[in-house]
Amino acid sequence: MDEYVLDIPVEPPKELRSLFIPIPPEYVEDTYKSDDFLILVGPQHPGSGHMRLIVRVKGDIIQEVIPDPGYVHRSMEKLAENRLYIQNIPLVERPAIMDAPNFNLGYVRAIEEALDIEVPERAKYIRTMLAELGRVGTHLYDAAILAVFIGHTTGFMYPFALRELICEALVRLTGARFTSSFIIPGGVRRDADESTLKWIYDMTLAMERRLKSFERIFINNPTVIARLQDVGVLSKEEAIKYGVVGPFLRASGVEYDVRKVEPYEVYDELVWDMPVSDAGDSYARFLVRVNEIGQSLSIIRQCIKEMPEGRVISEQIAENGNDIRGSFYDSLSNIVLPSGEYTTLTEGARGTIVFSIVSDGESNVPYRLRIVSPGWLYLKGFMESMKGERLADLQAIYGSFGYFPPEADR
Amino acid sequence: MMDVINYLFETFSSNMMDIPLIAPIVDFLLKIPVINFIVALILWKPFFAVIIMPGLVVLTLYLLYVVWYERKLTARIQWRVGPLEVARPIRGAIQALADGIRYFFQEAIVHREAHRPYFVQLPILAFIPILLPIMFIPAGSAVGIYTPYSIQLTVTFIALIPITIVAMGWASNSRFAYIGSVREAFMYFAYEVPFIIAVISMIFLYGSGDAYVAVEKQSAIPGALLNPIAFIVYIIAMLMATSRLPFEIPEADQEIAFGPFVEYSGILFGLAMVLAYEKLYIMTLLFTILFLGGWSGPYCPLLGDLNGPLWMFIKTIVVISILVIVRSIYARYRLDQALRIGWTSMLALSIAALVVGGALGVWLS
Repeated sequence: MDEYVLDIPVEPPKELRSLFIPIPPEYVEDTYKSDDFLILVGPQHPGSGHMRLIVRVKGDIIQEVIPDPGYVHRSMEKLAENRLYIQNIPLVERPAIMDAPNFNLGYVRAIEEALDIEVPERAKYIRTMLAELGRVGTHLYDAAILAVFIGHTTGFMYPFALRELICEALVRLTGARFTSSFIIPGGVRRDADESTLKWIYDMTLAMERRLKSFERIFINNPTVIARLQDVGVLSKEEAIKYGVVGPFLRASGVEYDVRKVEPYEVYDELVWDMPVSDAGDSYARFLVRVNEIGQSLSIIRQCIKEMPEGRVISEQIAENGNDIRGSFYDSLSNIVLPSGEYTTLTEGARGTIVFSIVSDGESNVPYRLRIVSPGWLYLKGFMESMKGERLADLQAIYGSFGYFPPEADR
Repeated sequence: MMDVINYLFETFSSNMMDIPLIAPIVDFLLKIPVINFIVALILWKPFFAVIIMPGLVVLTLYLLYVVWYERKLTARIQWRVGPLEVARPIRGAIQALADGIRYFFQEAIVHREAHRPYFVQLPILAFIPILLPIMFIPAGSAVGIYTPYSIQLTVTFIALIPITIVAMGWASNSRFAYIGSVREAFMYFAYEVPFIIAVISMIFLYGSGDAYVAVEKQSAIPGALLNPIAFIVYIIAMLMATSRLPFEIPEADQEIAFGPFVEYSGILFGLAMVLAYEKLYIMTLLFTILFLGGWSGPYCPLLGDLNGPLWMFIKTIVVISILVIVRSIYARYRLDQALRIGWTSMLALSIAALVVGGALGVWLS
């Protein structure tokens, strides 16, 4: 069928002029003249978080998506410049509530790198275990959001119920459900006792059993596969070009994991695989994270089995005794980093977290703290993967990326 | 005046439900003036079928039951407890009633952009195609209006329901409601054609659109075994027609926030929300007649004429209780996927059912 060009004057709706939209007015006019349509998804929408997506559609097919993030920007980097180094620990773990241990770990490792603090072995094992608990919790959270985006309420309830086990483990270990600020420069706040470790070990086994019922009802469900397969495909080249990180990069067939490439803590001493998929579609992104849950549970078990006895806080920090409790503020409040820039890469649940501290060498607050969270890094790839899909697929792709606006906006 | 009342009383009492269990009470009440008129009216067969069973009263009870049961079953599957706070000793069984009371006293907001007259009256108008089929669906000897075309008439009225839903979305004059209406219209065409062909195949099989003939022909083998293909097509069409979950596309709450009903609030929303459940009830009544032997079942002499309506009601409730489980095990299909299912596999299956129904119909007659 031939396409006829009709020269009909089209007026863009008035509300597109009155709302603040980060696109030029020429773009809006051009869209309406070329018979396209602009749909604003968010910031208050049942399907998106605190972010606006400006979707240009032709009929039902998405032509382009322009993100409008920043609705939950909390200026973390500026706040950090006015606080002591240890006061920043609770601050930097706020972006991603469930993934707090990984954020915490990245920041603390930058300080340790600057001060040349040697962390005791037992503390390293506890930190690894915490980081993996956070990873499992985040993946379960994202799986639940994905399920509710495609209308599967049971798939929403199961992971949230499983996540309660993670929260309970964190409560027993640290005393808080997620943002525990447990990892401090030189080690961890306190030792984990035998019964807690035993409970966590049993918890991982129980979770693996319950994940089987989640697999039966959600992962292998034909309707879920129909919704996710071949939707939002990012090829290997595209994923590299757009700078996608973490499990989403591995879902496109790139074998990159900071834990393998530049191992930190005790990841090089443990046996684990890197789940990779070549498909690059929404289902692969989901499956890679599901497989990562299994690997993380295995890492937690290995940590508990191989955990050596000994101190949990470095001798450089707590000189008198094995415990930081009682002398926390005396030991850590006045640390001053030597002048320079210290950068760490951490593999968070949703991808690479970059922490960069710039110190002037004389003040006890950072001169500059740079946080690049994974959500911000894969935002471009997320937008590109939606091109050419249907409007109803927007929710499925959104869920498959597990995009978390507070994490990206910082 | 007295002549008219006497004439009506004679008409009612000549065609009353004969229930031996309550016969002594009825005989006693019939001797009291005024009361005897009311009792005769209630037990008059057409009135009983339309208003009591399987009509309005039972429909209301069914609504209260199915909303609670669906929530409780979903909660059970999802490791939750479900409604419990209202009437704790009976496990929150009157939760739907409590919700209904809340809807009733809530302000029904009519927004400025809405087409006010249609917006307000459409949820009420939608009851007409829901309640009319009850007049023609017989349950044993209780029947509102006897006609040899009862099955065709029921299908016709069921086909009218989506029009009211599309009109609701149009009257709402909102972006999400509009998308919801368009989706509803798309789905309507996708399921209606295979659904009607499946029903026609069963009419071929029984040789008549008369529900009595259909039930009589199923005395040995139920229709579900006679024509299993039509059975499957009917179930899938029923899920599509009532927006059950794999096809909950017009109301997708994460995508378009309950579609056509997005602007409704208060009692108007309450009425619009139960539309799908009522449609499910009507379609299941027809399903019971076509595939499960209708009102036939073990005869209990104590119940007399009540046997038919009771068996029909029990079968309907059992079928619905099995059907509501799909809500907790399936995700939502995309619109184009659902349309593809409707226009390819379901259409093909329904035509196969038509061939089977025609061949069996010729062989049976």
